[in-house]
Amino acid sequence: MRALVVDDSRTMRRIVAGILERQGFEVLQAEHGEEALAVLEEDDRFDLLCIDWNMPVMDGLELVAAVRKNRQWRNITMMMVTTEAEQSQIVRALAAGAHEYLIKPFTPEELRAKLELLGLVSVKELA
Amino acid sequence: MSAEVEVDQVLVIARDIFSSMIDGEAGFLESWVGEPPVLAEPVVAWVDLRGPWSGRAALRTETPTAHNLSRALLGMSADEEVSDADLADAVGELANVVGGNVKALLPEGGKLGLPEVAAELPLTADAVLMHGVALAWRGRPLVVEIWALPTLDQP
Repeated sequence: MRALVVDDSRTMRRIVAGILERQGFEVLQAEHGEEALAVLEEDDRFDLLCIDWNMPVMDGLELVAAVRKNRQWRNITMMMVTTEAEQSQIVRALAAGAHEYLIKPFTPEELRAKLELLGLVSVKELA
Repeated sequence: MSAEVEVDQVLVIARDIFSSMIDGEAGFLESWVGEPPVLAEPVVAWVDLRGPWSGRAALRTETPTAHNLSRALLGMSADEEVSDADLADAVGELANVVGGNVKALLPEGGKLGLPEVAAELPLTADAVLMHGVALAWRGRPLVVEIWALPTLDQP
């Protein structure tokens, strides 16, 4: 399994990447949406994108829309990992094409549970 | 704003962030007891909220405490050196999470800015402190502040 963590905070990238790596993911990182798109153009063999919302250059919602528009990337699962906690924002992200939504702050267990919901790790792996 | 975001809600947000992201369990962030803390070597991180209500969520603490917060967030050992960049990023992210959760309590939402970090909080003359919640993290002072900034540029 391969994941791309997109967040302008290196702290958050390291936290999310650490949890994913402990679940067996190979993890790459990008600082904003535009950099993530450049990574995908180079090599799009990703199972999961973890995407922050508020980032400079290109925000997470724009990135979700851009990935969703490309048919070649339709099998990539996208999860927003963000402080945007309002119901209206969750609806916007899901409508744009995100598959899951995780609000900061979160615990490692909550992220792992989302991975299980997405079918990216098995219950056995969680135990 | 004060009618919409109560001081108890700010406290709940701070406790949730610390128990989820920093300590892994509750109980290490408590209300500060006594006179408001005087911060030596202060560092402050903040994010702006722009919308029908404009303001700023800030987190103030002392530099050694900011180092320890960064180590806890990044899973570093107690003797590991924290770079200035890591410190700014870590405390900035904490302020960002505080700001996002405060924004979620506002009825009309708004737009969250990107986190900034400095030794002092730059404020305009019309800034009004809505809440200043003094806390103790593992015994060291830390203050979460919510400011109203009526003249902050709109998104």
